[in-house]
Amino acid sequence: GKNEYDLLVIGGGSGGLACAKEAAQFGRKVAVLDYVEPSLQGTTWGLGGTCVNVGCIPKKLMHQAALLGSALKDAQHYGWNISQPVHHTWSVMAQGVQNYVKSLNWGHRVQLQEKKVKYFNIKGSFSDPHTVRGLTKAGKETVVTADNIVIATGGRPKYPMHVAGAQDYGITSDDLFWLKESPGKTLTPFVFNVSLECAGFLTGIGLDTTVMMRSVPLRGFDQASHISKKKQICFTTQQQMASLVTEHMESYGTKFLKRCFPTKVEKLKSNRLQVTWKNADLNMEETDSFNTVMWAVGRAPDTKTLNLDTIGVKTNSETGKIIVDASEATSVPHIYAIGDITEGRPELTPTAIAAGKLLAQRLFGQSSELMDYDNVPTTVFTPLEYGCVGLSEEAAVQRHGSDNIEVYHAYYKPLEFTVAERDASQCYMKMVCLREREQRILGLHFIGPNAGEVIQGFALGIKCGATYPQMMKTVGIHPTCAEEVTKLHITKRSGLDATVTGC
Amino acid sequence: MAQRLALQRLLSLPTRGTLASHGRAFGTSAGRRSTFNVQDGSDFQDRVVNSPKPVVVDFHAQWCGPCKILGPRLEKLVAKLEGKVLMAKVDIDDHTDLAIEYEVSAVPTVLAMKNGDVVDKFVGIKDEDQLEAFLKKLIGA
Repeated sequence: GKNEYDLLVIGGGSGGLACAKEAAQFGRKVAVLDYVEPSLQGTTWGLGGTCVNVGCIPKKLMHQAALLGSALKDAQHYGWNISQPVHHTWSVMAQGVQNYVKSLNWGHRVQLQEKKVKYFNIKGSFSDPHTVRGLTKAGKETVVTADNIVIATGGRPKYPMHVAGAQDYGITSDDLFWLKESPGKTLTPFVFNVSLECAGFLTGIGLDTTVMMRSVPLRGFDQASHISKKKQICFTTQQQMASLVTEHMESYGTKFLKRCFPTKVEKLKSNRLQVTWKNADLNMEETDSFNTVMWAVGRAPDTKTLNLDTIGVKTNSETGKIIVDASEATSVPHIYAIGDITEGRPELTPTAIAAGKLLAQRLFGQSSELMDYDNVPTTVFTPLEYGCVGLSEEAAVQRHGSDNIEVYHAYYKPLEFTVAERDASQCYMKMVCLREREQRILGLHFIGPNAGEVIQGFALGIKCGATYPQMMKTVGIHPTCAEEVTKLHITKRSGLDATVTGC
Repeated sequence: MAQRLALQRLLSLPTRGTLASHGRAFGTSAGRRSTFNVQDGSDFQDRVVNSPKPVVVDFHAQWCGPCKILGPRLEKLVAKLEGKVLMAKVDIDDHTDLAIEYEVSAVPTVLAMKNGDVVDKFVGIKDEDQLEAFLKKLIGA
């Protein structure tokens, strides 16, 4: 038509890039806009979005750094002569991680070039439903017009609203992974998976780390405080699992300030940060000093600069996220949205990628397949990892009633922990099944080493409608932690001791 | 040091300070003069595309391990040729558009350029013998 491009994607992250590249495969004229607004502390990064730059990738690598630290401690028991205590140098790890991320930025740039997707490093805003304009870093205005537009600008970490000094002196995950020097003694209020994962690896590399929580752990996973019918994230309201994860972290040295919330942050002459908080249990104010305060109070979309109001794209008034239907369409024809910016969707890379690809296939490839957001597996990469797929126990009870579900569970001990004399008290798994007829498995939850690797395979089973009898007929691989899933037989209902032993 | 100053006065060359103000990597050794970091697109145009002498262009990145080995190795061999060929270094993160324009995908990528055209190219690390052959071919020796 009269528009310059068939598809314009705003946002070069997981969802945006996948959508653009898929559309280009169909021979379409595609453009991608990507721009990183520097964080309040001035941190910025390259093409690839949150996952690549300040999310999944650096987080998992630093988690690995921490795990290696634990492995070094275990190694003695296995015969290795390693002088204790072992020390960690932040700058070496950071350099390695940051270099890898930069290679990914470059890789994405090359991929766009190879797939003939036009790339603009500009911050775009809508001037009409088919026109986006923005300024390049050099200040030149660029105007892009397209038949179809996909908004995939994701989110950024929020700062707390009513804490004096929060913005001046605190950092967020946007900054943590790009620090050149160690964050030192760190406080991370409040509790979302981000602060637990970060606190986990910071403790693992030897830093004095404190998590401050207003109420209960992992509560922030609730995308909405009600349990919506369709879009379940398996660890929504998983109180039991959350407690086990934080218990483990506590026993490994992370400090937890429970039922506390910060009131102010001040800078001391020594450059340390003095944090004051209210302890709700003791009903008094407490204070301590830290080198770093990293806020992990949730993420919010940056929709203001997009100018969505002027073109009529509807957003959720509370979250600011874009409202979409099952086909990722917004309230404006030919404008779609995918990924973290969309209301009610999981904030995960694989779902954004899949949604982006399917959208491109529907727009240009004569497909009608919609994205299936059910039974999306995921994992929290805390020191002891928690992986899950399907419904949480609470969601299953709410949907089917506690009489209609059976929960099988077990406390187990990974073989590798035995010789290393490691405490396995929080290594636990549970499977939530329907009680009647074929006893379909509704959800599987696993806390232990390599939880992500364990759960991935079972996600296929759940997708195919696997049942409890089928799981029991599946032979386990020995000796592994995963095999215990195939042997689950003690029910919560029975009240029996759920500790299982290996051979 | 004294020798160098004497030589400069003899040849009526400007002192080192004046040369340095041009912002280029100057030194007294022939090697340092024949290698330079590309500043921007027009700098590339002036000193590489429009260069009367053939130029090897080393596209590298700070996050690339093999680049850190190839760079100095190539520089050393270019220096031995005493100005017959120049070497331009391009950091692909600083000059992404330039790298994309020259179809760089993996690093290190080294281009041999003569009269503004790419006449040869290799990707990845090479040993000294291979580099010498590459340079010889470029000079036409």
